[in-house]
Amino acid sequence: MLLEARGITKAFGSFKAVDDASVTLEQGDILGLIGPNGAGKSTFFNCLTGDLRTTAGRVLFEGRDITDLAPEQRAQLGLARTFQLPQTFEGMTVLENVMIGAFLRAAHRTEAETKARAVLERVGMIRLADAPARSLGTPGRKRLEIARALATEPKVLLLDEAMAGLNAHEVKLAIDLVRDIHRAGITLVIVEHIMEVIMSLASRVMVFHQGKEIARGSPREVTANPAVIAAYLGTRAAKAAAGHTPIELMGGPT
Amino acid sequence: MRRLLWLSVLAAVAIAYPLLLSSPFQQRLGALVLLYAIAASAWNIVGGYAGQVSVGHVVFFGCGAYAAMGAYAKFELSPLFGIPGGIVIAVVLAAVIGVPTLRLSGHYFSMATIAVAETMRLIVTNTDYLGAAVGLSGPTVARNIFDLSFISSLPYYYLFLLVLAITLVITWWMANSRMGFYLRAIKDSERAARSLGAPARRTKLYAFMLSAALTSVAGALYAMMFGFVDPESGLGILISVKILIMAALGGAGLLFGPLVGAAILVPLEEISNSVLGGKGAGLTFVVYGAIIVLIARFQPGGILSLFKRRSKPASEAGAPHAP
Repeated sequence: MLLEARGITKAFGSFKAVDDASVTLEQGDILGLIGPNGAGKSTFFNCLTGDLRTTAGRVLFEGRDITDLAPEQRAQLGLARTFQLPQTFEGMTVLENVMIGAFLRAAHRTEAETKARAVLERVGMIRLADAPARSLGTPGRKRLEIARALATEPKVLLLDEAMAGLNAHEVKLAIDLVRDIHRAGITLVIVEHIMEVIMSLASRVMVFHQGKEIARGSPREVTANPAVIAAYLGTRAAKAAAGHTPIELMGGPT
Repeated sequence: MRRLLWLSVLAAVAIAYPLLLSSPFQQRLGALVLLYAIAASAWNIVGGYAGQVSVGHVVFFGCGAYAAMGAYAKFELSPLFGIPGGIVIAVVLAAVIGVPTLRLSGHYFSMATIAVAETMRLIVTNTDYLGAAVGLSGPTVARNIFDLSFISSLPYYYLFLLVLAITLVITWWMANSRMGFYLRAIKDSERAARSLGAPARRTKLYAFMLSAALTSVAGALYAMMFGFVDPESGLGILISVKILIMAALGGAGLLFGPLVGAAILVPLEEISNSVLGGKGAGLTFVVYGAIIVLIARFQPGGILSLFKRRSKPASEAGAPHAP
């Protein structure tokens, strides 16, 4: 088992954003975390990465308890993430942005630069290496987030809405990139709103609603689950929708 | 290559300056520019590269100044012997101050450092061992060359030039190491830097300690040149402000930014002081205020950022994945 979360609860005051959620991740998985806005999936995600401290529950990585480790210590172990709102290092070039990730496993500048260039080559951004990162648009920034995370040579990569704000063509390219990363042996956790992405990428899906896990299984299983449809569309709509393919209702491929 | 050429020109100008413009006023001015350039360059490590705007750096400056004068006044040693002591005290103090304050972000960090600096000034003002409000004096007449008590500013000029060169080499080396890269990343997004494995707190603390050590050397040199230190000249908040403005004016986070800032501000202040005499003291603050407003409004990156090589923006180099 690569990554495991046991009974994660995260409370802000008396409000439980995540309530007793558990998940296991095997080598080679692509786990999709979905749910309506405010369902708690991002909070759960941030508990896995160490950006948020859990109120209760444990997080284990390769059998080791990492609940109390800081984000940088988790990165050291092989956990990498991207941010929903790209956290680009604006004062640096594209190459330097990726070098920050590469420095985790490279002590010297030249070594980090070589690694960073290889990553940029891999994600198709090598031509932009010397451009100031602040000149990138949303698709470029999203891709740079992934490149930086890859440069840390992670075992697990957690993508927080890596496709949000991209147009249909850019989403296709991003899906290709994620597939490529997966083929290279990296296990993935993706939080995503775009159903198409989940349907075409995820091997397993976990659905959140009001801080609780309401369903899990293959993408087809969960989208056929009445509780999931109710969570997205409301109970009455779910009844009315009976007989239609649920995926269709959620804007997925028909 | 071009960079090397510029460096040699700069070095040649710096070495020749006091010989070409050799009046005592000009030599003294040159020495002061270098002295403030050392302090501002030291500040630049934490304030510029790491983006942690400390307004309390005078504390470390004071450590050096008091250690140098203390070595003479208390132990009859050359003020030079005070330098290592000053560095040790400054580094320890930086660790003590840095651990709690570096957790704060932006203005809160700046305000905390002001509070620490003012507290330190009040403590020293009321400590008899450190001369209280009168301060400590160095040797009035040099007993030997190691007392570094000269009438001419020329020896100070070259001493300061050497220390500045060392400071800049250390800064350059740091900026090109993993630490420098991490500091710049932390400045832009601490959260992202940590997610990529940068130990943010530790890196900031090391930068703060390195900066403190170098600032303390600047303080020691200052006290040696003037032959005394008191709470106002060694721990006054205005020194912090001066150092900060010089770095910001020239270009915070750029290697030569602080030197450029010092080369502009120190002559400005010396000239306004000599023209206006004692009446000018208040005016200096007004000028500083005006400079802060102008930098913030027109050139937040400092003067040197105007000359930074402009690299092609991404839109010209082609979209990340051209459709």
